[in-house]
Parts: sequence; C-alpha cells; structure tokens
Amino acid sequence: MAGELESSKALSGLLNGLAQEAFYGHQGITEELLRSQLYPEVSLEEFRPFLAKMRGILKSIASADMDFNQLEAFLTAQTKKQGGISSDQATVISKFWKSHKIKIRESLVNQSRWDSGLRGLSWRVDGKSQSRHSAQIHTPVAIMELEIGKSGQESEFLCLEFDEVKVNQLLKKLSEVEESISTLMQPA
Amino acid sequence: MEGCSEPRLDAKSEVTNQLVDFQWKLGMAVSSDSCRSLKYPYVAVLLKVADHSGQVKNKSFEMTIPQFQNFYRQFKEIAAVIETV
Repeated sequence: MAGELESSKALSGLLNGLAQEAFYGHQGITEELLRSQLYPEVSLEEFRPFLAKMRGILKSIASADMDFNQLEAFLTAQTKKQGGISSDQATVISKFWKSHKIKIRESLVNQSRWDSGLRGLSWRVDGKSQSRHSAQIHTPVAIMELEIGKSGQESEFLCLEFDEVKVNQLLKKLSEVEESISTLMQPA
Repeated sequence: MEGCSEPRLDAKSEVTNQLVDFQWKLGMAVSSDSCRSLKYPYVAVLLKVADHSGQVKNKSFEMTIPQFQNFYRQFKEIAAVIETV
C-alpha cells in the first residue's frame, strides 16, 4: 500500500503530530491516533516502521538544527539510500522544517533550561518622603518587580527597591555583562 | 509623586527587598540530550536579597540575550527617570 504512504498531505500532518509530541510537549499523540487519522488504509504493521523512519529523520534534523544547505544534503542522501524516502516526501519534510525550524528550536532550548527564567519585569519610580526623624526629604526610589519561574511552575514575584546610588551600581554591572556579550558575539 | 513609566507597577508581592549583591555569568549551552547543536548563549544571574528583617536569600534565574538586553534597557530608563525625580 505504498501509494497511501506517498500522500503529501498526510505526511505533513504526520510531521505536525510528531512535532507536537516530541517538541511541543503535547501528550497523548499515539501511534494509533496518527495512523487512524492520517493513514486509515494502512495497517499498523506497515505504519510502524514508516513512523519510526519519519520520527528519526525529524529528530536528526532538529538535533543538528540544520540550515537549509545541510537539510538539502541530508534529505538528498535519504532519498538515495535503501529503504529511504521518496523525493516527494523529501519536499514535504523540507517545507515542514522551513516553517517550523524556529519554533522547534525555541522549544528545544526551553527544554534544556532547568533554572528559573525571567517571565516579566515591571517598575516604577517613587519620590519618597522620609520620616520626620530624617533630615532628607524627597528621596527617589525605584521599585522593580521581577516575575521568575521554572517551566511548568507558578511564577514567583520578587520586589526590589533601589535608591539612586544602587541603581547606578547595578547599571555598572549590567554594562559589564553587555560588554561580555559583545565580546562573545564578535566574529572569531 | 509617581514616575511616568509604563506599564504601571502594581506589585504582586507584598514585601520589597533590598538587593545586597548581584552576580552574573554569561554561559553558552553547547549541546543537550535532545539537541546536539544547541549553541545558545544565556545570562545567568544570582541575586542576594535582604528583606526588612535583614534575612538574606538567594534568587537565581536565567535570561536569553534578548531578555537581558531588554532588562538592561529598562534599567537604563529607570536610571534616567530617577535622576529627574
């Protein structure tokens, strides 16, 4: 029943399903679900190796974060090998990667971040009146709220207060980070 | 006197803390079990914060480079505003 396995539309759907499960954390996309939805005429025995092959190809492409030259070379090699893919299938896979590459990469990057991430940041500056015991009045204060959280967990809100001196101290540190980034990003 | 910054901060946490120390590290994730070619730089930050009672806690988090640059840009805005208040 090779004809059914040739369908471009079905393959596109299959790659989508595979991506949902492998990269976007969508649970419950079973082999049987994919077969019955996309390849109903194909037996499970025949579908299984086909699915495994496509899953393997997609994972290889994603793992290497292939650019379009690498992708073309890789897919061409796959069309030439025994039990590989057809050139129509290669076209579908290529199109799929081109439209999903960025999103899949983002998802893989997120999967490898295990520390909390910065989810949000807001701030205001207040003019603060001091108490009657203090000679100083009208000291400005910056209040910053950071929203941090680990993947899949609720956010924690951290509220920080800075006077002008502290703001400038931190600003200096941040400029050191920025400098490091520039050095890193410079072409070798 | 409120600052003219947007968006208006309506603090969700009830306690404000003082920043005692700010440590940073610029890292590069090279490879992982799900992606052999990660190649993504990130900024990891360790904050030491003290609450009103003086108790010091560590808070750490990571930022992507664009997130850090936004953080830096916002902080520069804070500095500009606080100067004029």
